[in-house]
Amino acid sequence: MASSRSVSAARSASVGYRCHHAFRLIVLVILLAVLALLIVQPLGWIVFNSFHDDVTGQWTLRNYVQIFTPTSLWAPLFNSLVLATAVAVISTLLGVPLAWLVARTDMPMRGFVRLFTMAAFVTPSFIGALGWILLAAPNSGWLNVGWRALSGADWPLLSIYSMIGTIFVCSIYTVPYTFTLVSSALEEMPVELEDAATTLGSGVVKTMFSVTIPLVMPAVLVGFILSFIQGMTLFGVPAFLLTPSGTLVVTTKLAEFYQLFPPALYMSAAYCMPLIAITGMLFYARRCILGRRQFTTVGGKGRAGRKIRLKGWRLPALAFALIVPVTAVVLPYIAIVLVSLSRAWGLGPIPSNLTLHWYRWAIFENAETQRAIVNSLLYAGGAASFCMIIGILVAYIVERKLLRGAGLIAALVTIPIIIPGIVLSVGFFSAYTRQPLTLYGTATIIIAAFVATFLPIAYSQAGSILKGISPDLERAARSVGATEARTFASITAPLMRGGLVAGWLLVFIPIMRELSVAIFLVSPRTNVMTTLIYNYKDGGNYEAVCAASALLLFATLIVVLLARFVTEGAAYRRRNAASLGAVP
Amino acid sequence: MAAFSRRHVLMGGAAALAASALRISPVSAADDALYAAAKKEGALNLYWGSYEQKTIEEIRDAFKAKYPGIEVSLLRQASQTIFTRLRLEIQNDAVQCDSIGTTNLLHYKDLQKLGAIQPFKPTNINMVPEAFRNIDPENTYHVGAISLTTINQSTSVTAPPASWTALLDAPWANQITTGSPAFSGDVASWVVAIRKKYGDDFLRAFAKQKPKVGQSNVDTVTDILSGERKVGSAAPFSYSLTQQAAGNPIGVTVPSDDAILNLGLTAVPTKAPHPNAGKLFTDFLYSVEVSNILAKNFWPTLRTDVPWAEGRTLESIKWYRNPVDNLAAEVAEGIAKWKEIVG
Repeated sequence: MASSRSVSAARSASVGYRCHHAFRLIVLVILLAVLALLIVQPLGWIVFNSFHDDVTGQWTLRNYVQIFTPTSLWAPLFNSLVLATAVAVISTLLGVPLAWLVARTDMPMRGFVRLFTMAAFVTPSFIGALGWILLAAPNSGWLNVGWRALSGADWPLLSIYSMIGTIFVCSIYTVPYTFTLVSSALEEMPVELEDAATTLGSGVVKTMFSVTIPLVMPAVLVGFILSFIQGMTLFGVPAFLLTPSGTLVVTTKLAEFYQLFPPALYMSAAYCMPLIAITGMLFYARRCILGRRQFTTVGGKGRAGRKIRLKGWRLPALAFALIVPVTAVVLPYIAIVLVSLSRAWGLGPIPSNLTLHWYRWAIFENAETQRAIVNSLLYAGGAASFCMIIGILVAYIVERKLLRGAGLIAALVTIPIIIPGIVLSVGFFSAYTRQPLTLYGTATIIIAAFVATFLPIAYSQAGSILKGISPDLERAARSVGATEARTFASITAPLMRGGLVAGWLLVFIPIMRELSVAIFLVSPRTNVMTTLIYNYKDGGNYEAVCAASALLLFATLIVVLLARFVTEGAAYRRRNAASLGAVP
Repeated sequence: MAAFSRRHVLMGGAAALAASALRISPVSAADDALYAAAKKEGALNLYWGSYEQKTIEEIRDAFKAKYPGIEVSLLRQASQTIFTRLRLEIQNDAVQCDSIGTTNLLHYKDLQKLGAIQPFKPTNINMVPEAFRNIDPENTYHVGAISLTTINQSTSVTAPPASWTALLDAPWANQITTGSPAFSGDVASWVVAIRKKYGDDFLRAFAKQKPKVGQSNVDTVTDILSGERKVGSAAPFSYSLTQQAAGNPIGVTVPSDDAILNLGLTAVPTKAPHPNAGKLFTDFLYSVEVSNILAKNFWPTLRTDVPWAEGRTLESIKWYRNPVDNLAAEVAEGIAKWKEIVG
């Protein structure tokens, strides 16, 4: 009797073991299949294309020979590296302290700073560049006109048509990456560690540099890398601001390739390969820096919401924190909104020139704009959610080392973000217009392209949250018999929640403002806001461009606020639960 | 016989005038057959880069009103993007486009070489100005738009430069804005034309004026309206007039040494899913309705019997069009020279 019981127990254990492994296998197979479709196939096409001749269509190594010989192709790459490095450094220097001030101190107007930093994120960079042209063009920029009137000088204070101007505009619109990543990491971090430093006599600044920043290092590094990549792949800002000085960067050089006859699509594909190598090096450097250090900050204890008191530093801190909101949102949007309210923007903001026509037109009269707003929200929402699911799964497999060769998957999902959208667009076109996957003209192809492009952000964010969650909690669940899936669903996922909403926004917003990856994939029925706004810009209808941009900002901000509402609700409940469990 | 035909012409003219006043045009027998075939196909996918969003949307809506029963989808993107997309569709054997309209002749030379556009003769082609009637002996592409490149200027300029060479005069130093031939087809054809007229000396003197070089020629209007620069070179004629009509402080000067005329073209792809609908749309382009829409939006009309906005006609403007032979090489050389001299 006893032996039969032990046999049945052993049998049920072995069934459980097999079920568990079968489930794990199914999840893995599905995930790998999705990644193969989403990333391997389009990337494969890009690589395949890069070995073909644009004119004859034959196999060739000529594209690569061309990349590595003439100086004309090196110069844009060098300029892009300068731009991207400067953008990454400035974004980190602005974004990290900004995140700390908003997340951990009693600085005034924190809600405003947070909202407006997110608004900077929402703004497509070419709109920001447009706003800054109105503000700081050497002759006509409003700031320069004001400067001349005040000082009597005959030279401009600022010239936006320069490398410095370009770095500045790119940076202020990239800070939100670092800001969001780091502030979400800071919010998930327990204050006990800082308290310990303070108890031992360390001041606010010393604590920040010796405890706080090292603990959020994974998020800082991801922010730095994403900012660098953003600096490499932005097209709108350099196109507007660097063309007058004749300076080319990688993306504007690619645009030139696309203007050739026939368009040098295969050459462009080859031109992107050095970018993949550069990104690879960055991620490798990140691994070397972080090494085997532990960053577990979530250990099962509750977190207090107490803020560090800045005392006399509150106002200087606020002045610093307002740099991004003012330069990236307030000033340019004053210009953009004024233009959007004009009958003819060349007449300036005089009463007889004011009208709500362009808003009425965009919201009520023009079917194309209505459809594009709905499409943008639906695709960005769908793609961001799908992106997060895959990102979490990949990060979980990589961080918890559930599979041999997980590092390879991590590298794979990271590649698409560095490839400029216009080249990726061609990859997706090639991948999804053939049997058996003929998705051309559908919403699926656009959502798939968005998911693949922004998967690295989702994966990085999920990875840095997971680094902060101690596997001990998961092991505890496993040891009392929970399956891997159950552990993930009931322990890991809830602990990640706050960070996941931040991650979802980090994907949702860039999709809303993404232009180039959709360029060869949109159809009249699946047009999105950015492609439409670009058309109006192409046709010179700036009043419509500005009204549509203001609407895009408004629609995205509502989603940001909703998401914030959801996270804060969750954080509040969590804090309450923690305090209930505390010993009185 | 002479009197008979003159009377007929007069009567026909009066009928056309009345019809154009009512914005309708009679549907011919040939049109009927084509319409029936197109209706059977049921849909029409337009890929257009000529004309800005507003004008092409109005043309689409007029087509829908005149030919019910055909579902029309319009993809409006920049000309080169449209062309690249059609090429990708051809490469992947997934052609969706029934009518392509872009601003660059080289697109059609390339598509013709691939055998990707089909020959046919639009029924209304005889209404088009004679110079643009038989632009392709093989009839694979036809005129889709007439685009003029001129000078534009701020209304604060009382005596604008009257010619391209006048732009090289002292008062316009640091005052000129222009587009880049590497990004804009219209600017590229201006560079080809100016080099033909005046050689590279013009580019050298032009560079000394320190022009501000934007991307598209539309940027000239932006710079003038914002007050950044006063005069636009290689500027878009129609778009500048639209902005003027909207009340913006901008004016247009047609240079005495010729406006540069660039033809936008249109074709029906060989593998178009709805070829009859594509051909019907081409016919429709040469209708009175479309020319009226064009005139209203300050575009040159495609018919000799519909004057342009403000009573202008093709004859009233001195224009020059680049010769077609060897154009690809000249464009490439023009861009290279521009980069070398202007930057």
